Amino acid sequence: MQPLWLYLHFPNLQLDSYHTLGPSRARPNEQLEPAQDGVETPVVILDMQHGIVQLNQAARFAGIKPYMSLGTAAALHGGLQVVPFNPEIEKQQLSMIAHRLYMVVCDICFFSEQGLLLRVDNMLRLYGGLLQLWNIIQTQLAPLNVEFSFATGSSPLAAKLLALKKWDHITDDPKLMKQALKQVDLTFTELSQKDITKLNSVGVSTVEQLFAIPFSDLHKRFDTQVITYLGQLRGDFKHPVDFFHPAQRFEQYIEFLYEIERSDLLLQPMHKVLSNLENFLLLRDELTQELSITLYQRDKENIEFVVGAQQGEYRAKDWLGLLALKLDNLILNAPIVGLQLNVKNTFVRSPDKHDLFLGKQGAISRLQLISLLQAKLGDDALFSPMTVNDYRPERASQYCCALTVNEQNPIYRPPLRPSFLLPEPSLLTQHVSIVHGPERISTGWWDHHPVVRDYFIATSEQGQWFWVFKTPDNKWFLQGIFS
Amino acid sequence: MNSTIDQLKNKRLLWQASQVSGAHKTLSSGFDSLDAYLEGGLPEQGVVDISSPIGIGELRLLLPSFVLRQQNSQKLLVFIGAPARLNAPMLVKMGFELSRILIIEPKNAKEALWSTEQCLKSGCCDGVFLWHQGLEVHQAKRLQFAAETGEALSVVLRQQQPISFSLPVALALELAPCPEGIQVTVTKRKGGSHSQPFTVNMAQAWPSLTRQPKSSNIVPLPRVHSLTG
Repeated sequence: MQPLWLYLHFPNLQLDSYHTLGPSRARPNEQLEPAQDGVETPVVILDMQHGIVQLNQAARFAGIKPYMSLGTAAALHGGLQVVPFNPEIEKQQLSMIAHRLYMVVCDICFFSEQGLLLRVDNMLRLYGGLLQLWNIIQTQLAPLNVEFSFATGSSPLAAKLLALKKWDHITDDPKLMKQALKQVDLTFTELSQKDITKLNSVGVSTVEQLFAIPFSDLHKRFDTQVITYLGQLRGDFKHPVDFFHPAQRFEQYIEFLYEIERSDLLLQPMHKVLSNLENFLLLRDELTQELSITLYQRDKENIEFVVGAQQGEYRAKDWLGLLALKLDNLILNAPIVGLQLNVKNTFVRSPDKHDLFLGKQGAISRLQLISLLQAKLGDDALFSPMTVNDYRPERASQYCCALTVNEQNPIYRPPLRPSFLLPEPSLLTQHVSIVHGPERISTGWWDHHPVVRDYFIATSEQGQWFWVFKTPDNKWFLQGIFS
Repeated sequence: MNSTIDQLKNKRLLWQASQVSGAHKTLSSGFDSLDAYLEGGLPEQGVVDISSPIGIGELRLLLPSFVLRQQNSQKLLVFIGAPARLNAPMLVKMGFELSRILIIEPKNAKEALWSTEQCLKSGCCDGVFLWHQGLEVHQAKRLQFAAETGEALSVVLRQQQPISFSLPVALALELAPCPEGIQVTVTKRKGGSHSQPFTVNMAQAWPSLTRQPKSSNIVPLPRVHSLTG
């Protein structure tokens, strides 16, 4: 099958970005004044080298033209708004558009600073035709409200050339595309000005005329760049392109417009980032168990912390709840100027399984509860009890990580044991009377924690039941309480 | 006059017999004498306020009911702010499944209350033990509400002498040591009344931890554990 390329050219990316962002999301210094009396204010984007590079409809009406100098433009309209050209914004916008289109087209290439190249021939079978695919691409682009021109071509450069010329046709007919290409003026091509002048002087001004000249003749007068360009334009030469791959991991950094000094105010910007994360994960049907967050403090060390959700979450709402608990315990030493969110591992969501016969299920699951408690209390506050096969009581019972007990039946089933063990046996200071005993435990000589004890069950005068032991040197210790 | 009664009713300080008919489900405590006094056993959900010294058998009185609960459901049993480390072999011996026991060691009383509320209302715990010395009325109310939301039973244990005002809980017991077992006084019961102190005999369940009147002069042989087991 013939390769078919679609090129989308976005001439006004920066200008369009202010509309898509909306006034609330645009930065205040770049916020444009709202239209007064229903009339749009003329806005131009100014590049220091080229003069005015982008302008809106109102500016056009005022008679301003691209590449005009600022002085001339200002003279044409008094209320002209001028925004400096920022290639960073264009880059972000293009990347955002690419991410959107990636949902419907698999091969996308950042072909130039203002254009995206899409390979469409391999998508036709999926969508059932070029027009259907084009409709879907258009619906993806529509909400962004960006101005664009487009064209299909049999080679990447041909598509680009036609789109730059605003051909605005979608076709898979090679004849039509060739026809259109032939009429293009050489000034639209990527040939250098010097080469174009040279060609013009011998009467070659359109692509058709240029194509008529054999390569061997051109080779004598022009360098290899021109030949390569022509060959790739015609599709005779291979033109390798690097396709775009959306990021596998979610990373976002935002810089605050103002410094934040209270941790509860951090929730607002965090919600924005988490919503982006939610979209990212939702589209992939994935969950994550851990967010790493870095807060950039002014003139101080960054604060880094991790929030976990054992069950895995994607919703901004759930993450925000856990983050709020974490932030409660956070002490800020200096105002926060930026926020970075990194997500390392994600995993595919498996459907929630509910047992129909278990009756009413709780609002949250066990793992969610653990994550919630851990976010607030820290990792060292939750345990589950565990038994270990050992005669020494303090070793037989241990605390391990919450709900990770691998239950195994102890080989050694001890007789009656108290419900509470003191962290360390303490010297017995009160008067007790022995009720049962002794039970001798003599073990541990092989691992340097030897224990020789005679255990007794005793009651105090207050009626409390204690577990006490006597060492060979006749010292009495209290180790447990029978609650 | 009437408005005073209404006010008291609104504050839930006054109950009418019709309000509290058999609506409160109970679960056997494992001790027949206690069940008889409580007309069925411990409440299925809500807050139970226990005032007891440590080590007189308070857990032995309460835990059998929770073993039963753990066997009937897949939910968790939570211990919050225990005065010492819980001994796992004892829990196994009583019949608990350790993988469904959660122990929380909060740094302060505030965190303990917060964790209790979260566990109670989560719906994935059916029993929460909280050791807390000064529960206040509004805190008890919140816990009671959370327990009803999550269908869980919370036991709040304190060592203090009984407080003068009554907490809005489902059941309040006062425990005292007793040679044959444990002495129980019901100080408050929703839909029930106070009781005189009575003794729950634990001689059958815990023969070694009760003192029976000496009937024989049998001296038990000492048990010796060594390497050979």
